[in-house]
Amino acid sequence: MTAIGDLLDDLVADADAVFLFSPSGSLYESFADADEEVVVVAPDNAVKADQYVELPIEFTDLTERVRFGIEGAMEQDIVEEGEDIVCVVSVFGDDTDTIVRVRSGEFDRSGVYDLFVNSRAEPAVIRDVLEVAVELGKKGQKGKPVGALFVVGDAGKVMNKSRPLSYNPFEKSHVHVGDPIVNVMLKEFSRLDGAFVISDAGKIVSAYRYLEPSAEGVDIPKGLGARHMAAGAVTRDTNAVAIVLSESDALVRAFKGGELVLELDPEEY
Amino acid sequence: MIDWFGVLEQVFANELNSIIAIGVLFVGLVAGYTVWRMASRMLQRMGIPELVEGTVFERTARGLGTSTVGILALMAALFVYAGALVIALSISRAINTQLFWAQVTGYFPSLFVAALALIVSLVIGDKAKLVVSERLRSVKLPEVGLIPELVKYSIFYVGGLVALGQLGVVTEALLILLGVYAFGIVLLGGFAFKDLLAAGAAGVYLVLTEPYSIGDEVRIDEHEGIVQEVDVFVTYIESDGEEYIVPNQLVLQSSIVRVRN
Repeated sequence: MTAIGDLLDDLVADADAVFLFSPSGSLYESFADADEEVVVVAPDNAVKADQYVELPIEFTDLTERVRFGIEGAMEQDIVEEGEDIVCVVSVFGDDTDTIVRVRSGEFDRSGVYDLFVNSRAEPAVIRDVLEVAVELGKKGQKGKPVGALFVVGDAGKVMNKSRPLSYNPFEKSHVHVGDPIVNVMLKEFSRLDGAFVISDAGKIVSAYRYLEPSAEGVDIPKGLGARHMAAGAVTRDTNAVAIVLSESDALVRAFKGGELVLELDPEEY
Repeated sequence: MIDWFGVLEQVFANELNSIIAIGVLFVGLVAGYTVWRMASRMLQRMGIPELVEGTVFERTARGLGTSTVGILALMAALFVYAGALVIALSISRAINTQLFWAQVTGYFPSLFVAALALIVSLVIGDKAKLVVSERLRSVKLPEVGLIPELVKYSIFYVGGLVALGQLGVVTEALLILLGVYAFGIVLLGGFAFKDLLAAGAAGVYLVLTEPYSIGDEVRIDEHEGIVQEVDVFVTYIESDGEEYIVPNQLVLQSSIVRVRN
């Protein structure tokens, strides 16, 4: 017992900040007089914490979740590089079961926080599109794996850097992502070739777009196909972000500024 | 009504009358109980418990060991009990001043409606305050806290007015006050929301007919650029490094130039 207790003491000794991931009200209360800086990372600020990082999607992967929280806190200047952070997380259930100690500068910044918060499109819109892509990756279209490319934000510019492959099924319609029926529509239309264009506020502007940005200097991992290349290129040329569902490996990837910032496995959500 | 009682009194002897009165009382008890059960079940089906959740009235009722639904159902049952009591008493001729009955039976339903109006206004006022403050939660200004309170007391005021009107209290002065208040709100609101209403009306046209859509290059009121977003109130037009947010009524007033190369 003492060995475990000592281990735990070592783990939390001299921490500069405590990150509470989706804490309950009583847990947050118990940290009210803590010497360390207390940061809450959760989908919504239910405990009304002063220092709060919004978690746009429930990362099941622990490292992704911790990474997002720390990147968010660094972006907001709550913590600085090289600080020791203790993360209190629940992984297997709703109760706290895991404590992670990490140094804030220990890993490369992936820009995943930046993707949600500092993009042109609203975070909720990006989250909704990600959810559609994940769901599509999980189930496929009628059981068959499909690929899809969503370009979110800066729609005016994207429309000018692309051309229609056929009639736009969303012309003169006013549909926004996040609506359950619209999500079904998006899945149905995913069998069409080309990209979906979605505006900053989440309006689906067009389907069936052939993107023609200049792909010069786009650096994405080798082995990814034309769809990913187009996604990377369009985000370099415009201020949009692109969310791609790969047809071959069924991973969801997000691009921003011509770079891959997020890779999710739909099966894990 | 009075003739009917007269006939009853002539037909039956006094002893029989009291037996019938007891019977009526008994039926009234059963009917009251049924009404109580049915009312509380109906109110629960209508989703009243969720609706009143968190209001002061509900919390007070809970503190007293009952609930809003319970109180409303109890009131309905009491109404039936009282009605039965009135009929029973008049049959047994315990008190038979006809004037008294005419007054009480006339007064009783209004009392019921008045109590109902009070309860409903208390609940709705509180609920409206909760809903409004929920909507305004993201606005962290101290002045904003006034709006939900204002909504709450406006509803209380109207509810109180209805109750007093039912009881026959002279409410002209209060009514005039209400009229002035409503007039003020409409007038000031009209002035304050004039531009928003105009923009909204123009926006509905723009959204429905789409004279220009996202990605088009347009010139509106000296602002030239690519349309980024059209919503009901404003249009976002972006040119190099500048984004114009043009109110929609301005779009219609100044006409739209679509730039084609």
